[in-house]
Amino acid sequence: MKPFPFPCRVSVALSLGLGACSSAGRRGALDPLRPGEEGVAVLCAKVLTVDEKDNVYSPGMILVHDGKIAYVGERAAVPAGYRELDLGPGWATPGMVELHSHIHTGGWGDINDMVIPVNPELRASAGLRPSNPLVKRACAGGVTTLFGIPGSGTSNSGFGVIYKSKTHASYAEAVVKDPGGMKIAQSYNPERGAGDLGLTRAGLAWILEDINDKAVGANREKRFDPALENLKKVHRKELPVLIHCAGSDGFPAAARMWKLKYDTRCVLSHGCFDAHVTAPWIVETGAPINAGPRTMDYYVTRDGAITGTVERYLAAGAKDISLNTDSPVMPQEELFLQGAMSARLGADAYTMLRACTIHPAKVFGIADRVGSLEPGKDADIVIRSGDPLDPRARVELVLIDGRVEYDARQGQWF
Amino acid sequence: MIRRPVMPWRSLALAALAASVLGAPLSAAPRQEQGAGAEQAGGESEKKDDAKAGEKGEEHWFAVLGGEVHTGTGAVLRGATVLAKNGKVTAIGYDLDVPPEAKTLDAKGMLVYPGIVAISSQGLIGNSGSDFEDTIDPFNSRMILGLAAGITTTGAAGTAVKLKRFSVQGAVVRDKIFTTLSWSGRNPAGKRSLREKFQKTSEYLRQFREWEEKVKRDKELKEPAKKDVDTTILSILKGETTAKFVANDRDDLLGIARLAEEFGFRPVIEGCVEGWTVADELGRAGAFAVVTPRERRPKDEQLAAPAGSSIENASILHKAGVQVAVVPASEGVDLGGLVGRDIMHITIEADFAVRGGLPEDAALASITTVPARILGISHRVGSLEVGKDCDLIVTDGDLLHYRTFVQYTVVDGKLVYDKEKELFFAHIRPRPAALAPEKKLDKGESETKPAEEKAGEEKAKEVEKKEEPKKEKKEEDK
Amino acid sequence: MVLARDADTNMSLSILLLAFPLALGASPRPADPSASSDLLAIRVGRAETAAKGTIEHAVILVEGGKIVTIGEDLAVERGIPIVDKPGWVAMPGLVDAYSRLGLDGEGGEDNSPEVRAFREIYPGAEEYQEVVKYGVTTLGLYPAGNGIPGQAVVVRPLGKTPEEMLIQDPAYLKVILRAASSSKKLVRDGFKKADEYAEKEKKAREKWEKDQEAKKKKAPAKKEEKPEEKKGEEKKDEGKEEAKPEAKEEKPPAKEEVFVPPEPDPKIKPFLDLRAGKLHALFSISSAGEYLHLLDALGKEKLSFDLRIPLSRDSDIFYVEDKKTYDLEVDGIGDRKCRVVIEPMLTLHPGTMRQRNPAMELMRAGAKVVFVPRNDALADLKAWLPNVGEIVGAGLDRQAALRALTIEPATLLGVDSRLGSLEKGKDANIVFLSGDPFQPSTRIQAVMLEGRFVFGEVKP
Repeated sequence: MKPFPFPCRVSVALSLGLGACSSAGRRGALDPLRPGEEGVAVLCAKVLTVDEKDNVYSPGMILVHDGKIAYVGERAAVPAGYRELDLGPGWATPGMVELHSHIHTGGWGDINDMVIPVNPELRASAGLRPSNPLVKRACAGGVTTLFGIPGSGTSNSGFGVIYKSKTHASYAEAVVKDPGGMKIAQSYNPERGAGDLGLTRAGLAWILEDINDKAVGANREKRFDPALENLKKVHRKELPVLIHCAGSDGFPAAARMWKLKYDTRCVLSHGCFDAHVTAPWIVETGAPINAGPRTMDYYVTRDGAITGTVERYLAAGAKDISLNTDSPVMPQEELFLQGAMSARLGADAYTMLRACTIHPAKVFGIADRVGSLEPGKDADIVIRSGDPLDPRARVELVLIDGRVEYDARQGQWF
Repeated sequence: MIRRPVMPWRSLALAALAASVLGAPLSAAPRQEQGAGAEQAGGESEKKDDAKAGEKGEEHWFAVLGGEVHTGTGAVLRGATVLAKNGKVTAIGYDLDVPPEAKTLDAKGMLVYPGIVAISSQGLIGNSGSDFEDTIDPFNSRMILGLAAGITTTGAAGTAVKLKRFSVQGAVVRDKIFTTLSWSGRNPAGKRSLREKFQKTSEYLRQFREWEEKVKRDKELKEPAKKDVDTTILSILKGETTAKFVANDRDDLLGIARLAEEFGFRPVIEGCVEGWTVADELGRAGAFAVVTPRERRPKDEQLAAPAGSSIENASILHKAGVQVAVVPASEGVDLGGLVGRDIMHITIEADFAVRGGLPEDAALASITTVPARILGISHRVGSLEVGKDCDLIVTDGDLLHYRTFVQYTVVDGKLVYDKEKELFFAHIRPRPAALAPEKKLDKGESETKPAEEKAGEEKAKEVEKKEEPKKEKKEEDK
Repeated sequence: MVLARDADTNMSLSILLLAFPLALGASPRPADPSASSDLLAIRVGRAETAAKGTIEHAVILVEGGKIVTIGEDLAVERGIPIVDKPGWVAMPGLVDAYSRLGLDGEGGEDNSPEVRAFREIYPGAEEYQEVVKYGVTTLGLYPAGNGIPGQAVVVRPLGKTPEEMLIQDPAYLKVILRAASSSKKLVRDGFKKADEYAEKEKKAREKWEKDQEAKKKKAPAKKEEKPEEKKGEEKKDEGKEEAKPEAKEEKPPAKEEVFVPPEPDPKIKPFLDLRAGKLHALFSISSAGEYLHLLDALGKEKLSFDLRIPLSRDSDIFYVEDKKTYDLEVDGIGDRKCRVVIEPMLTLHPGTMRQRNPAMELMRAGAKVVFVPRNDALADLKAWLPNVGEIVGAGLDRQAALRALTIEPATLLGVDSRLGSLEKGKDANIVFLSGDPFQPSTRIQAVMLEGRFVFGEVKP
C-alpha cells in the first residue's frame, strides 16, 4: 500500500466524503474542514453553470456543503462557517462527463473477453482500477465522471461502470453506478471475428436480436435468468445502452435496432467516417449521438471539404449530442479538445461545452448528480484559467464530491 | 459542338475565380509585362534573386494592407501595411507609398503574422524525403493543407524547404543543416568514443588556431597534422554544421549539455522530454530543444528524482534560456478523422506549451523564429522584417486560438493560399463580407458570388464553367 | 468552300490521272507494284477529312495507294470502278502514335537514347493483322524501358519484313521524366555531354582550319573552304551509322578536303540531333509537378518537345495547362503549344468527384491533343473510337477529336505530309464506318491501307 499523500484522507472518509484536502501550496484549500466549518465557498471570475438556462455568473460563487453544491450564483457575502477559496480570474465549469472510455483498467487490454460474441453477464467494474495514472490525468484535464466500458471486439462484452476520476480513491469511493449501462459493438470492429458467427453484419444483427428477444421474453414472462438480469433492465429502460457504431451503414442500423425496434435508452457512440450523411434520419429517430473520437471526415464524395461531423449532426438538429475520446484512442484529458476541434470545424463553441458536460449526463440518466453546477448536485467543479475549450487554459483546481482532487499549483499534471 | 449555356453573371463571377484560383483578392492592377523576354526568363533560377530581377527590369510588388501586423519581433502594428518587392519585405508601417502596379491583399479586420516554420514535417513537400530540389511536388494537396495551417517553411531530412506552391525552383532554402549524433545511456561505448572524437578534434583545432597565429610570423612553421580528426566533429566545432541529438532521458540530456559546454557548441535536442529536470544545464549549454508539449511519458515510480514528461517542459526550458521549438507528435497530415494532433494543428501544440506556462510570445516564437534559427535560416524567415522573405499569413483571429483559421498564406510575396478558394475549409465560417477584400468588388465581381460558390450543384459543374471564364479573361486583357 | 473548286476541275483531273499513272515505287509499300492502273472511286455519304472539315456526298479517287482527289459529288468518268456506299462515312485511318503493339522487348539500361524500336519489330505478330480491323493504319512504336529508352519508329501494320512495315525511322526520342534527381540528371547529363562534344568538335575544327591555313600557305592556288556549310553536313554525316536512306546524298561532293568531325558517342548523338532539330523529343511525365521538373531539367536548353501524360483518375495536370490560371513562373503546356499524348479519359478533380475533361481543357489552353488507346491490348484498340466518342459526348469538339486521332498523331510522328488526313496526294488510309465515328452504334465497315482494302469485303 502506498501512503496517501493527503493527510486528510481518513478524516474525509469519516466526514462523509466532504472535500478539502490539505496542501502546502494553497493556504486552506486542501485542509479538511475544521470544527465549526460548514463547507467551502468557491469564488471566481466566471461560473458557467451549464444549467437549463445556461446561467453564467460573473463574478460568481459556489457554496459546497456535504459534497454537494449548496449555492451557485452571483458573488454574495460568504456565509459564516464557509471557508473562502478564491480563484481570482478562474472560470468554474461542471466536471466533464465521458461516456466512452476504456481507461478504467489502466490502459489497453483487459477490456474484451473475446470468447463468445455476446456476454451480457459481464461487468467492466471487475477490471476497474480506481485512480490509476490515466484516471488521474483525466482528472487533471477536468473530466470527473466516466463510463468505463468493455471494448468493441465482441458484439456485447458486458456492462460498463460509471465512476469518478478521484485521484486517491478506493473502489467504493470512485464508483457511482455499477452497472452504469450496457456496451454494444454493432459495426466497424466486432466483424473482425468473435467466434464463428458474426463475420457479417447479418450475423451480428442476428446475435444481438436473438439475445434481445430472449431478454424481452424473460421480462414479459417475469422469468429469472442469471445471464440476462442486466440486459432485462436495459429493456425495461432502467439502464442505458451505449452502442459502438459508425459509418453510414452501421450508424442507422444501430438506431433501427435499439431505438425503433427495441426502444431502449440507447446512445449511438462514434458516428465517425461518413455516418454524418445519415444525420437527419438519425435525429428523426430521437437516438442521441455520442460523437468521437474521429470528429472529422474527408472523402472525395464530400467534394474535397474537410467536414466537422459534430457540426453536421448539429445542423441536422441533433439534441443532447455528447463527445467522447474513446480513450486511450485520444487521451482522456483531452475531452475538451474534442469540443474545441469540433468548434473549430464549425460547431457552436458553447454547445460543445454542453456536449462535454450536461448532455452526456442527461442521456445517461445521471444529470441529477453531475453535468451542471446546480444546487443539490455533486460538487464536481473544475476551475480553469480561462475558456474551458481553450487548450491554453489550464485546469487550476478540480473538486469531486466537494473534495479537492487536483490542484495544479502542487504540480501541473496536464 | 454542344456546350452548356453559361449565364453571363455567373461567368463574370467565375472569370475572377478562374483568373485567380489564387489571385482573386489581389488588386485589379494587371501584371506588369516588361516584354516577352522577361516573361520567358520567368522559370530560370536567378529569378528569385533581387538584383538580377532588377536588372531585367522586372519588379513584382506585393502589399498587405490594413491588418494588425504581428511582426514576430515583439511589435504589433495595427492597421499597418507590409510591402514587398520581388518576394522580400521592403517596408512595414503606415502611409507607405504602395506602387500602383502592386498586387494588394486587404487584411482589414484581420491579423498578419510571419509564416509558420515547422521544424519538421512529413509529406508537405512531396513524398521523397530527400533531394527536394528535384522531387518537390508543388501541387500536392498536403502542401495546400500545410499552407492552410499557416506553414510556409519546413524542415525535412536536414533541409529547410519552402512551401512554394506552383514552382519547383527556389524552394530549398538550406540543406545539410544537421549532423546527427548519438548520445545514449544505452550505448556507453558510443558515448565514450564520441567524447574522444570531440577531445581529439578540439585539441587539433586549438593547435591549428595557434599555428594560424604563429605562421604569420614564422612562415616555415608546419601546419598541425589532421590525424585522428573527425571531419564532421570538426565542422561542428567550426560552426559549419549543427549537431543534433535525439534524446529524452535526463542523464542523456545532462551528458549532452556537458559535452556541449566543454567543447563549445550549441546542440539541437529533439524530444527533450525530461529536459525540464535539467533545464538550467541545458540553458547554460545554449541548447535548442524541439519539444512536443503533449508528449506523455510516465515517471518511473521507483525514481526519487523528478522524471517523466511534464506539460511545463517548454515553459521551464524557456525560463532557463533554452530556445524552444514546438512540433506536434504527428508530423504528417492526418485526414483520418482524429483532429488536433497532426502538423495541421501545430498552433494547437503550441497552445499546450502555453498551458504549461510558456508565455504567448515565446509560443509564437516556438513555431516561427526559433525553428528558423535552428534551421539556420533566420536571416530569411521566421519574422516580418525589412529585408526578409515576404512569407506571411493573414488570420481571422489570434493565431493561437483554437477557432482561428488562416485566411491567406503568402510565400515569397505571392499569394499561394486563400481559404475561400480552396476545397478544404471554404465552407467553415466563410469570410464575412466585412472582411472580404474590397478590391474584389472593384473588379466588378458579383457580391452574390460566395453564396453561389457554396451551392452544391453549382460546384459539380465547376469544371466546365472554369473553362468559360478563362476565355473571357483573355478577352478582357486584350 | 474550297472543296467546290475541286469539284469543278474534277473532269480534267481524272482524265489527267488516267493517262498518268503515278510512279510510287519509292516507298516500299505492300501493294502489288505491278498494278499500274488501279484507279478506284469511292462514293460515300460523308467524308471527315480531318484537315479540311466535312465533305457531304464525298467522292474519293484513289490510285497507286494515294488519294488522287477528294470532293463533294465529283463526277466519276466512265470506266473507273466505283464503290458506291451512300450510307458510309469515311475518315482517315487512325494513327496510334504511342504504342508497344506486337513488341515484347523488356528494355535495358535506363540511359539508352541510341536504341531504336525499329530493331525490335516482329512482323509476324498477329496483333498487326488484327489492329487494322479497328481502323488503325499507322503505328508509332516506342522502345521499352525506363529513363531514356530510345527512339520510336513509324510503321504500317502490314508487311512481311520490318523494312516492308517501315514508314519512318526515327519518329521521336522517348524520355521518361520523373520528379527524381536520377531522372533529371539523365536529361541534364545528356545535354552536358552534348556541350562537351560541341567543344571538342570546335577545337578539332579550329585545329583543322589552322592546318588548312598552313597548307594553303604552302600551296596558295587552292579552293577555299566554306566552314559554315559543313556545320550542317558534318552532323548528318554521323547519321550514317544508323539512318541509311538520307545519308547517301549528303556524302561529301568531291575529293576536296573536308573537315571530318570526331565521332560522337552514340549515346550523345541523339542529344546533338535534338538540338539540331533532326530528332524530336517526347517526354513522358505523370503529373503537373513533373512538368515543372522537366522544364527545370531542360534549363536554358531551347527545345520544342511534346508530352506523353498517362492520365490517372485524379490527374493534376490542369495546374500547368497555362501560365496564367495559376500564375506559374514558366509557360504552361498550352502556351508552349505542345502536343500532348493522352488517353481518351475523363478525370476527377483531386480530392473530389468533380469531373474534368483534360483533352478539352488542354486544347482550350492552346495545346494539341493526340489520343492513344487506353492500353495496348486489342480490346482497348477496339474501344478506342467509342472511348473518344465519350470525350466528345463530354464536350470535346468533334473536329478536334478527329484530328487527335489522325493528323495530330501523324504530325507528332513527323509523317503528316504523307498521311493523317483525307487530302489529295496523301496515302489512301481510309476507315469506312456505318455512321458517325463517335456514335456508339457505329461499326467499322471497311479499312483501306494505302489504296488496298485490308478489312471488309468491298467490291466495286
